[in-house]
Amino acid sequence: MQRFLDPRVLAGISGLDLVAKTVVDGFVAGLHRSPDFGFSQEFAEYRAYTPGDDLRHVDWNVYARTERAYLKRYRGETNSVLTLLLDASNSMNYTSHSVKKMDYARYTAASLFYLAIQDQRDAAGLIVFDDEVRNFIRPSTRQGQFHRLLSGLELAEPRARTDFAKPLRHFQEFLRRRGLVLILSDFYESPETIVRTVEPLRFHGNEVILFHILDPQEIRPNLGQSAILVDLETDERLEVTPEYAHDEYRKKMDAHIEALRDKTRAAGMDYYQLVTDRPLDGALREYLTIRQGKN
Amino acid sequence: MGFLAPWFLAGALALGVPVYLHLLRRHTTNPRPVSSLMFFEKRTQSSTRQRRLRFLLLLALRLAVLFFLVMAFANPFVNRRGKASAGDNLLLIVVDNSFSMREGTRLADAKREATSLLASRGGGSRAQVMTLGSQLTALTQPVQDPGVLRAAIAGIQPSDSRANFGELARGIRSLADSVHSPIEMHLFSDMQKSGMPASFSELSLPGNISLLLHPIVRDSVPNWTVESVNAPGQVWDPKKARVQAVIAGFHTPAATRSVTLVVNGKGVATQNANVPANGRVTVEFQTLDVPYGFSKCEVRIDSADTLPADDVTLFSVERADPEDVLFVHERGDTRSQVYFGAALVAAAESAFTVENVPADQMGNANLQKYAFVVLSDVTSVPSAFENDLLRYVQGGGSVLIAAGTSSSGHPHIPVFGGNISDTNDYSRGPERFTTVGDADPSHPSMQNIAKWSGVKFYYAEVVDPGDARVVARLTDGTPLLLDKKIGEGRVLLLASGLDNITNDFPLHPSFVPFIDQTARYLSGTERRSGSAVANSYLELRTAKEQAVSVEVIDPQGRRPLSIQEASSAQSFELTQAGFYELRLANGRRNVIGVNADRRESDLDVIPDETLALWKGNATPQTAASSPATASTTEEPVKPYGLWWYAMLVLLVAAIVESLFASGYLGTQREEP
Repeated sequence: MQRFLDPRVLAGISGLDLVAKTVVDGFVAGLHRSPDFGFSQEFAEYRAYTPGDDLRHVDWNVYARTERAYLKRYRGETNSVLTLLLDASNSMNYTSHSVKKMDYARYTAASLFYLAIQDQRDAAGLIVFDDEVRNFIRPSTRQGQFHRLLSGLELAEPRARTDFAKPLRHFQEFLRRRGLVLILSDFYESPETIVRTVEPLRFHGNEVILFHILDPQEIRPNLGQSAILVDLETDERLEVTPEYAHDEYRKKMDAHIEALRDKTRAAGMDYYQLVTDRPLDGALREYLTIRQGKN
Repeated sequence: MGFLAPWFLAGALALGVPVYLHLLRRHTTNPRPVSSLMFFEKRTQSSTRQRRLRFLLLLALRLAVLFFLVMAFANPFVNRRGKASAGDNLLLIVVDNSFSMREGTRLADAKREATSLLASRGGGSRAQVMTLGSQLTALTQPVQDPGVLRAAIAGIQPSDSRANFGELARGIRSLADSVHSPIEMHLFSDMQKSGMPASFSELSLPGNISLLLHPIVRDSVPNWTVESVNAPGQVWDPKKARVQAVIAGFHTPAATRSVTLVVNGKGVATQNANVPANGRVTVEFQTLDVPYGFSKCEVRIDSADTLPADDVTLFSVERADPEDVLFVHERGDTRSQVYFGAALVAAAESAFTVENVPADQMGNANLQKYAFVVLSDVTSVPSAFENDLLRYVQGGGSVLIAAGTSSSGHPHIPVFGGNISDTNDYSRGPERFTTVGDADPSHPSMQNIAKWSGVKFYYAEVVDPGDARVVARLTDGTPLLLDKKIGEGRVLLLASGLDNITNDFPLHPSFVPFIDQTARYLSGTERRSGSAVANSYLELRTAKEQAVSVEVIDPQGRRPLSIQEASSAQSFELTQAGFYELRLANGRRNVIGVNADRRESDLDVIPDETLALWKGNATPQTAASSPATASTTEEPVKPYGLWWYAMLVLLVAAIVESLFASGYLGTQREEP
């Protein structure tokens, strides 16, 4: 089943819902049983009865055998709010192979929505932004929310450029309920700016995860000869030599990733790097790890 | 500065290829999109600029490689003059030692001027000494030793050859094929006008030859000479032998010259010849009374001019008894013996004596004393005579048979052996006669076949040739003259008569030379000449006489042929004036008087305009016309090729380009 998580395979599947189902089913089938997740009515533990407890929760079978009253504890109603912030700037349109960064982000988002809504009954919402908030789907568990979210993803075509500072206040307006905030972006901004912009969400009590989506050529560019590079967002042109791309650029990119990871974690947020030529299970595993932590 | 192969400069168009690849094609690179230029800083551009500079340097190196490759093929050169090329020049000294240089002090003057030229040049430069006679003769190799060169000049002796400037130019052209360095040729000569070739273009010299002429004399000199002598080589009757001499004067006034006929050193007759101004006169001596054997004769004049060597013409005369010829005829035939005898006496200068005998009187004759036998239209001969005749032929004798009308009734031809199959009586035909059709001009009897064209044949026997050689045929194909070898001798058959009945041949002028040549062919004697011109060649042996030794004694009494040459040489060049004594391969002895070519006696000189034209034809830069200026000529301009330097720079540029290019490619290699 692992091959179904290959982005190149997923690119051949039309429809985000089918992609999300394929990813999640394939991912879950690849896991062993785990007691750490399940539905909310699932038994958790016994606790000694104390006056004032609801008698409906007393396990009378145990009382009959032991003449002691114990209460059955269940995993409570742990429905969380998942809000996914999707960067739809022009830089997400880049690719060096068959899967664009934007497509990879869509697959990831769709899979997370599927996992949250269909499997865990969590409320899920979507904010699509570039230098403005272009689309907002309020988190909900209502019927048809999953398809609304997928529709929002379908409509999120990259354009304009990224600006984290500007739509920040809108994030805070929209995210009134505490929950899980996932940001999918290529984060072409200084780490300080990113953390400074996103940090207020953490102060609000949200769990914040930064999914850094990168193309392999962005990490290890390979120029055969001198080339004129065009910035997809600013249309700026620059002639670059292979030596620079091989040496200087890689150092700068590695330093950028390292700084972003360090500063993000230092701010109490999580950072995860998604490279578009790798399977999608990494993002799902990260999500579920966070969910387990919340419970 | 110039190019030896300028058409290779068209290869410079290839310079556009690296320019296109480096400058034009580079701008066609498609822009490559990236997510962000966030990590590409200003420093990137400086790196690109540096690389662009490196590209330009690489471009310059590649352009240099192509440029110098084109230059190397175009072979540029610069003209250099000066001492650097002087050592490579060859100083060629040519001294004319032809017969005319015997006049006065011409040869001594030429040698003196040549020696002074050599002295003025000093040592260090290569020089070669040659003489110009009938051909160009090298006396030394190109050497720097002035002593050797001076000795060679001092040793030059006058010859009896005729100078030919065309031969000089031809020899120099051959020399220039092997010597590629500039050649400075100095010609010391009397510039005799008769030495010029028929075509002026034969004097052309290669471009690396600079010709400097040193005329020894400026004006023509009067000269009398015995221009030619017409004397028989063989004499059988001294009273019938005559000697005619032509006395010529070149640029001379009218004068009376005493002409003396000298036989074996003794003057036998003297006449005065009134030679007109710049003209010639013929003197005839009515008798040539010489003893038996070879006599050394000469015709001498008292010219009192400055070239006495041409005042005498040598010739030799051999006196012998006439040989007998047996002429057998029918008793009633009187015409053929008259025609044959008259022709033989007239042509062969009394070399033969004809003995006429009727056929029916032939008995036991001693045939060995006859040079050859003639059977003129005999119907039959006694069998004993026929047997003697056959033995005579088989032993080396020769027979001429003429088959006239009398032979028609007798199909058998004596001695010849062939049968008469038919007779052709052309007088009864519509044209009344026929003529000679095909003939073999290589046969000694037919050497003047062209003169047979008007001969009419009215009657001819048709003879089966068998194994005989058909020398001539009539126009209808009937064999006319057949040559058959029997034993050691031969039989010549004329299928017509020797009278004027069966043909008009005896009345025709070609009859006499035919009888003369046939008689000499059958008797085995050839007409000899008693004189020859210097530098002519004498045939020593025929193809059949390869293994037989010959002997030649020159005028100085020396034997110029080595033992090996005496047994193998086919011919011998008569180089000196004087009497040569020879014993040829056929055993005959011969004496030949050799004289210089009388064109050398005309001492007229080449006009200055012609000399200037000749010099201009050699090299336009050298206009020296006198010995004084000739010795101070400038060093010739020499093209100095630069292709070697172009190739050296090309090699360096190619190496540097390879280093740069490999370095450039190396930076593009990805780490594993």
